[in-house]
Amino acid sequence: MSRLRRALGRAGQYVLVLVAATTLNFLLPHLAPGDPVTYRYGGQTAALTPEQLDEVRASYGLDAGLPEQYWSFWAGLVRGDLGVSIGYSRPVLAVLAERLPWTLALVGVATLLAFGLGTLLGAVAAWRRGSRRDVGIVTGVLALDAMPGFWVGMLLISVFSVELGWFPSYGAAAITADGAAEWVGVAQRMVLPVATLTLASLGSIFLLARASMTSVLDEAFIRLARSKGISERRLAVRHALRNALLPVYTNLTLAVGTLVSGAVVVETVFAYPGIGRMIYEAVIARDYPLLQGAFLLVTVGVLAANLLADLTYPLLDPRVRRSEAVEAREPAR
Amino acid sequence: MTGTRSRRFATAGGVTLVLLITVALAAPLLAPYDPSARVGTPFASPSGAHPLGTNDIGQDLLTTLIFGARISLLVGIVAALAATLVGTSIGVVAGYARGWVDAAVMRLVDVVLALPVLPLTIVIGVFLGPGLSTQILVIASVIWAGTARELRAQVLSVREHDHIQALWAMGGRAGHVLPRHVLPAVAPLVVPQFVLATKTAILLEASLAFLGLGDITAKSWGTMLSLAQARSAFLTDAWLWWVVPPGVAIAVTVLSFALLAYAFEERARPSLADRFGGSPGTADLRSAVPGEPPTSGGDPLVIDELTVAYRDAVAVDRMRLRVAPAELVALVGQSGSGKSTVAAASTGLLPAAARITGGRVLVCGQDVAALGPEQLRSLRGDRVGLIPQEAMSALDPVRTIGDQIAEAVTAHRRMGRAAVRARVGELLSVVSLHPDRARDYPHQLSGGMRQRVVIAIALAAGPELLIADEPTSGLDVLVQAEVLDLLDGLRRRLRLAILVVSHDLPVVERIADRIAVMHAGQLVEIGPAGRIRAEPDHPYTRRLVEATPRLRLPEAASR
Repeated sequence: MSRLRRALGRAGQYVLVLVAATTLNFLLPHLAPGDPVTYRYGGQTAALTPEQLDEVRASYGLDAGLPEQYWSFWAGLVRGDLGVSIGYSRPVLAVLAERLPWTLALVGVATLLAFGLGTLLGAVAAWRRGSRRDVGIVTGVLALDAMPGFWVGMLLISVFSVELGWFPSYGAAAITADGAAEWVGVAQRMVLPVATLTLASLGSIFLLARASMTSVLDEAFIRLARSKGISERRLAVRHALRNALLPVYTNLTLAVGTLVSGAVVVETVFAYPGIGRMIYEAVIARDYPLLQGAFLLVTVGVLAANLLADLTYPLLDPRVRRSEAVEAREPAR
Repeated sequence: MTGTRSRRFATAGGVTLVLLITVALAAPLLAPYDPSARVGTPFASPSGAHPLGTNDIGQDLLTTLIFGARISLLVGIVAALAATLVGTSIGVVAGYARGWVDAAVMRLVDVVLALPVLPLTIVIGVFLGPGLSTQILVIASVIWAGTARELRAQVLSVREHDHIQALWAMGGRAGHVLPRHVLPAVAPLVVPQFVLATKTAILLEASLAFLGLGDITAKSWGTMLSLAQARSAFLTDAWLWWVVPPGVAIAVTVLSFALLAYAFEERARPSLADRFGGSPGTADLRSAVPGEPPTSGGDPLVIDELTVAYRDAVAVDRMRLRVAPAELVALVGQSGSGKSTVAAASTGLLPAAARITGGRVLVCGQDVAALGPEQLRSLRGDRVGLIPQEAMSALDPVRTIGDQIAEAVTAHRRMGRAAVRARVGELLSVVSLHPDRARDYPHQLSGGMRQRVVIAIALAAGPELLIADEPTSGLDVLVQAEVLDLLDGLRRRLRLAILVVSHDLPVVERIADRIAVMHAGQLVEIGPAGRIRAEPDHPYTRRLVEATPRLRLPEAASR
């Protein structure tokens, strides 16, 4: 009962976020100073006569009332029509589809790494809270977290690409390569961006994991587990870390938001052909339709990641797996 | 220790920030050149005249760096101020009003928090056009939500405080209670929120500026890096003087704010501090006189002149107690009397802040304080089983019952999988649970069943001594009796020595052979259960006995 309600609440929340993002997308050109047409055409309207402008407005339905425009905006979205990119002169959806796989790969790998590394460091720091090791790790992670992601990327390029020449500094794939060499090229070009993104988004996961581990270590079940005479390592991994993982996993929202934001600047630094780099290019070119489409896509992506976390959470926590059974049995004694 | 560390963090952060702000304010005095003047050849390397070289149009980079502090700090601090003001107001109102206002506001907050921060600011920023005020607006409009959520939670918890509740009950009006009582309680939390917001705002500003959304006429550190990127400065040696300094400046600034926030948070939650006050005392505290034979005479538990101190406070003072095989001794006293400390010392599980400062605890002849961590580990479970306090929550919620019992079995013996499973089933039967329960998770069991599982775990490795710390807390009266009868039966069947620690004299007197009474860290009386009940010697015991309502007539002291 309560579980169903919670699930419905979550779903409602997702729908709400999506509607908010879409509405914001629709309203921004209207809120901005000037005319939406100016924005659609990236400030190239000066060449047009007033009559031509009216024609353009009519062709985009901009002469209709705001509610009507809003409605047709949604109708377009449902059909998958995100408008036409000014810079590419192609449907926004097609441009996005081309870029998406690269970002998915980058953010996907970095999420796994940041999640693993952040949780592990957080757990190690919390294990002896207040010890020299804890202070060292906390200070280090806070310092890392204080560095702008794009700057970390620039430094990595300067050191590992320019000075040492270990990795290529830009792009996602070698232009003249196929077969195995192509995959090697792709992997090589992923190392630095993934490293940058991981380092730049470690902080929030680390702090969460450390707080979570600290409170788990105070639990009665840790005391009982210790009284069994099991090894400290087993205690730390099988009982403490295993339980500390739960809140970290449910708060993936935080991390995914940070990672996506990080991807925008990291892809820009490495000229990585994903959504993030495209956002940068759209900003430079004032390609508004593309920018709006990208924002929508990114929002959907973050929501999808959260949905995935929600749906897979029962795998980690047996209490939500068969919660009906509890209610059935609890008063049965 | 944590207290001094958070003070050190705060000092480091604070001093650095004061320095940075001074540099920003005094920029015209400190900077060697006019920030907009082209004073050297483009792309010049560092020299005496230009310690950090020049940029692509010949502006002095050191000057740009110094003036950059103004913009970066200005945008960060003003945006954070605005966000904190808005977030605090909204959070306080939502937490205070509750009901639909709260629901609506929190929905909005959740939506803002769910949107990806940087893409959101980019989209808004692009439409509003470049400029400092736009940047401040955009950043503030994104980061207020976190503050609002935190403050709302605080207001909600403050509302529940007794004195606020009392004010309501006395008919206090919102116009009075809010400014006089709720706001002062919440105010200390606004500062760390502001510090955190500033940190986020400065990083966001840097990212926005880097992506070309900054104000070109007012260069921040982010703008410097953006230009360096556009001119590919990081592909040449110029990265050392063009890329590194602004990044370091941003990192140092943000880190200072982060350290301050960390220190504030640590101070706001003192319960988290000092969890690891010092290393638990072990080898250096052994007090057994060399050559003295163990005086245990085979008793599984011998407590001899044991003194335990938390820092300067003595929790247990020269305690003496023995428990023989098949004997059940109850240790009773009020909370704070030191009885749980005795239980913890007997299993080598004293909290880190506690130290054995005198006497000793012999478990099966071994001095617990003299054992190393590995020896202690092999003692626990194998020789002495513990039934901890809060047994209701003493089971790991994410692992099956069988798994947790099996772990206690295999911690001390190598066994095949089938043998382990058989042993788990056997243990479950011993505590009157069906072996099929092994597959269940703790949340699927009732409180009494969970307590039985905890007992099964304590028995798993076949210990000679069992220490039960408040084994009946949280259970209803009928289940209490069942659990105690189970313990009583076990010690007879397995010849276990059992020490039951309880604040509840009537609960344990039924099954105890002897009762030891503790008060203020000292053992005030010990004797057969019947005698303690019938004719207590010590005034404290008398009070304890007389305070207990009696339904049955005392039985003869035959046990």
